[in-house]
Amino acid sequence: MRSFNKLLIRAVTILLITLLTACSSVPELENNTEAPRVKLPAGYAEKAIINEYYDPWEGFNRRMYYFNAKADQYVLLPVVAGYKAVTPDILETGINNFFSNLGEIPVFINALLQAKPAVAAETFGRFAVNTTVGVFGFFDVATPIGLDEQNEDFGQTLGVWGIEAGPYLVLPLLGPSSLRDATGAAIDMLAFQAVINELGMAGEEELFLSLLSSIDTRANLPFRYYSSGSAFEYERLKILYMKYREIQIAR
Amino acid sequence: MRLISIFIMLFLTACSTKNLPEFRVKANTCDIAYTRYQATVTGYCQEAAATLPKSIPTIEKEIELRAIASIPEVFWYSTKMKYSLIKQEDKAPLAFVIAGTGASYQSSKMISLQKTLFQQGYHVISISSPTYSNFIINLDSTTDFPGVLAQDAKNLYGIMQKVYQQVILEDNVEATTVSLTGYSLGGAHAAYISKLDESEKVFNFEKVVLINPPVSLYNSVTILDSYLDMKEGGRDAASAMLDDIFSAFAQSYASQKSSAFSPGSIYALFKDAKLTDEELELLIGASFRMSSSDMLFALDVSYNLGGFIYKNHEISKFESVTNSMHRSHVVTFGQYFEKVVVPWQQESDPNLTREELIEQLGLKNIENYLRNADKISLVTNADDIILAEGEVEYLAEVFGARAKIFPRGGHCGNMDRISFVEYMNNQFQGTK
Repeated sequence: MRSFNKLLIRAVTILLITLLTACSSVPELENNTEAPRVKLPAGYAEKAIINEYYDPWEGFNRRMYYFNAKADQYVLLPVVAGYKAVTPDILETGINNFFSNLGEIPVFINALLQAKPAVAAETFGRFAVNTTVGVFGFFDVATPIGLDEQNEDFGQTLGVWGIEAGPYLVLPLLGPSSLRDATGAAIDMLAFQAVINELGMAGEEELFLSLLSSIDTRANLPFRYYSSGSAFEYERLKILYMKYREIQIAR
Repeated sequence: MRLISIFIMLFLTACSTKNLPEFRVKANTCDIAYTRYQATVTGYCQEAAATLPKSIPTIEKEIELRAIASIPEVFWYSTKMKYSLIKQEDKAPLAFVIAGTGASYQSSKMISLQKTLFQQGYHVISISSPTYSNFIINLDSTTDFPGVLAQDAKNLYGIMQKVYQQVILEDNVEATTVSLTGYSLGGAHAAYISKLDESEKVFNFEKVVLINPPVSLYNSVTILDSYLDMKEGGRDAASAMLDDIFSAFAQSYASQKSSAFSPGSIYALFKDAKLTDEELELLIGASFRMSSSDMLFALDVSYNLGGFIYKNHEISKFESVTNSMHRSHVVTFGQYFEKVVVPWQQESDPNLTREELIEQLGLKNIENYLRNADKISLVTNADDIILAEGEVEYLAEVFGARAKIFPRGGHCGNMDRISFVEYMNNQFQGTK
């Protein structure tokens, strides 16, 4: 099992590197085309580098964006709809709380790594109260008593440590990210896996838990691909994501 | 052009209202200092929110108007025109709702109108604005440019009939009467559609309500363009100011206790950011420019105009359109009018002058009809930003007792507030 995983990771890595560099988003022009009449605004070139976020893998990213939209349409959203139909609302909220509670662990670790003792203490308090009084996290009793939800991850930690976002990157199924944040997410996932391993679960139970976690995550994300109707949704989501990360890191 | 702050705002509001409906009741007012710009951006949150259903049984619908094979590849996701139906269990009155500039049938303002009307016992059919990409792409015409109200009305009227047939067939909708409403540009559309219906007599509207309509499209567009103009500094000044707004939001977010977003925390974010009127104007102007760039790009692609894209070039679905977006950001509504609408209209009618066309694009052109049409009511705000000087008074005079003018609310800022919903409930009784 282990060696198969390693092999898979290696294969995926090679595939990703090939795809990242191989796809182009530059138009292939027909013979009778005419250049656009409206010219690009003056100073666009230098502004583009500073403000528009580095996107050298645009060709790959746009394809992945499309792939994610299709995966959403044919797999994720139907599964989410089925899940919502069979799960009573109160259980749905409970499951969401349960995973949020497990998520406090990486938040806690990252708050420590960013030297934010207040955030770490609050998060620890949430985890302690919700795990005990809240029955393994099924009920969120911490928020009503004034222990607020915090949001930290390893991507933010890297940002606080001064590491730049790097190129924009659209991840398979997970969507908008950057080289830094994708690295951070991978490390968070490893840490999370270590916690799961500590619980000593059987293979199928673990698989069920991660499936449920993915469904829960998607069910609580209101975003729908291409629903803005704008031809520039890709660009806008990119800027939105990068700016959102900036304000998270500034916090 | 850096429109980041808008994106953040859109993101914050979109996520919070959909995700956390239970917070709506708790945080339904704010203590931000009132200005008409603030009300336009955050909503008139100083007044309490109306009690509206948390969720409504919306049916997503689509209708084929233009052959799918002829739809440009870059809009592959936009084949068929999308609209929505919210259906009552039994036979009931029906209301059509038309969205405002650049807005879809499911914009947040549309949703609050849907909830209001559904609660009053209406079937509700929501149609996107003729300025919305999906509408433009699916319009089976190569001559009609959005914004020419009489043409828009003709197209909308035709689509409403097809859609109506579809919901009868597919959803067994039984309508006792048909009514019509629309906000902003959709309000002006509703007026023109109502006039058309007087001669065509397909729907025989029972009631028509115009919500915050422009009096003159040209005046409104000039006002909105000017917000992003920034006079001396030009685009650099606008960019710098957007960056400042963004940092103000980031700082405000950093000082909040919780990292979660809720309507309450968004109001707090706005309060702390202490935006000036000029900054709020910029946000409004930037948001309108985004709508217009979407609209212009869709037109460019659909009619092969070669404005922002290569003429005679089919954009593939993975191709970058970022440069086209930057090109479209520099074009104002005003330039669209001068360079596209005027020449195009003059092509079909060489005697038409620019001034005559400006006259045609507004409510004054059908003033006589509006004066005497008892079924039409008007609701707007005395401080609506899209109205030029004297236009509020003009509306009050033309509609007389059929006009309701709230003192505050900016442009469409009060559509989910108590007194506005109460007004709508009085208009749409749904008993007949």
